[in-house]
Amino acid sequence: MRSSPGPGGTTTLDASTEERVASRVGDALEAVFAAVAQTRAETAALLARVSEQGRAPASADLAALRPGLHLRLARQELVSGVGFIAAPGLLGDVPAWLEWWQTTADGDVRPLLPDLDPERSAYSDYTHWDWFALPRDTGRRAVAGPYVDYLCSDEYSLTLSAPVEVAGRFVGVAAADIYLRHFEAAALPLLRELPGPAHLVNARGRVAASADPAHLAGSLTKGPDFGAVLERARTKTFGPLRLVPCPSVPLVLVVTTA
Amino acid sequence: MWKVVAVKQPTDGGARRAIFTPVDNRARVETVVHRLGDAIELGLLADGEQLPGESELAGQLGVSTVTLREALMALRQQGLVVTRRGRGGGSFVSLPDVPGEERLKVRLRGWSTEELRDLGDHWAALSGAAARLAAERTEPDDLAQLRRSAEELAHAGDAAARGRVYGRFHVELAAAAQSARLTREQVALQTEVGALLCLVLGDDTYREEVADRHRSVISAVQDGAHESARTLAERCVQESTARLIALRLTL
Repeated sequence: MRSSPGPGGTTTLDASTEERVASRVGDALEAVFAAVAQTRAETAALLARVSEQGRAPASADLAALRPGLHLRLARQELVSGVGFIAAPGLLGDVPAWLEWWQTTADGDVRPLLPDLDPERSAYSDYTHWDWFALPRDTGRRAVAGPYVDYLCSDEYSLTLSAPVEVAGRFVGVAAADIYLRHFEAAALPLLRELPGPAHLVNARGRVAASADPAHLAGSLTKGPDFGAVLERARTKTFGPLRLVPCPSVPLVLVVTTA
Repeated sequence: MWKVVAVKQPTDGGARRAIFTPVDNRARVETVVHRLGDAIELGLLADGEQLPGESELAGQLGVSTVTLREALMALRQQGLVVTRRGRGGGSFVSLPDVPGEERLKVRLRGWSTEELRDLGDHWAALSGAAARLAAERTEPDDLAQLRRSAEELAHAGDAAARGRVYGRFHVELAAAAQSARLTREQVALQTEVGALLCLVLGDDTYREEVADRHRSVISAVQDGAHESARTLAERCVQESTARLIALRLTL
């Protein structure tokens, strides 16, 4: 099915197709980041209101976020979990808290109720997970994964998250989960528009979606420095591979050209 | 008891059912005792928490109320459940503050050595496969959680905390393999074996040995040495199972 590599004109056409595919992958994730940004804004506003009342926020205050969270779960087809994860020590009544809602297999919306007591659960500390640590440490939004999320959903997932700040202080992260099978369903038709085998990797080279049987989701594509490609935000050639950064999201489209 | 019934009415259909009823029932009681006991031991049901009413709980577990009552009686004998009568009464989870080594031994006695051997085989298959895949699919940066768990195990004080961190290491190993299925299986397996492991991890020397074995698994995974990663993970698990079986045989 692969078209033979043609002279200059074809390469230009392929290159523009690749950039269009990369850009549409970026668009799909931007829509989810928009939902994360809404959660972030609502949470920051809520916590600022509580702060104006001169008291420490409590877990019950976060219930006010629920209508917005439920709306985003219903509207965003790609998204299976949304919420706000409090920085430990933020809330007056509990040491740690996830205001987290998920769509179940039968379409219901349920809260996640993890055991966050360190005396009882080995999984009570969530601050080392990439979806929490990256936004906290960089101050910027982040894509974590693909990874097995054994804390919240038991699913192979991507988590998009952004730091929430109140008066310049980090208070937690707003986030949304995309199960990898749903991401694949969205990305595969785009990858198939390309004439050659193609896949998407994160900054560490882990495959997030693939139309190439030689590179399966979850495996590592070794060799290129994908982080550098994302930083430069420009297409790069690496042997037979063309590496096309997706605009503004940390995924790289990898196309085999020969 | 059922033998008498069988001899009296050897050809009767109802009697034949009676022959098998007690066996089936016994297994169901044990299953319920196992399930609730493990949940209590692992802290999934909190100390002092009230269990649902008998008919509701029986319905949730898919057993008859008679079976449930027998199971609750066994749990009361193990000291894991107390039943209070009268207003505000019911069955409550009861977890003594001291590490319940004796209670855990009672639980271990509920396992045959064959069942423990089989549990160990399942565990070795899961963790061995996970270690091999993790060696293919991770970079050094992906191993931070496993390292943290290996170090926490080396410093964990009480046996219950050691059991939890031991289990978490194997769950993290399955996650490092990038397999949601292996991870779910490992989580389920740890709910069975986790509480029992406290019995062998109380020994400081063995706790050190496990921490060292975990460190070697991490090194092999980091080096991309698939087959040694698998073998090291299997050996770690087999050794723990062997210790549980040896302990079981002393009871």
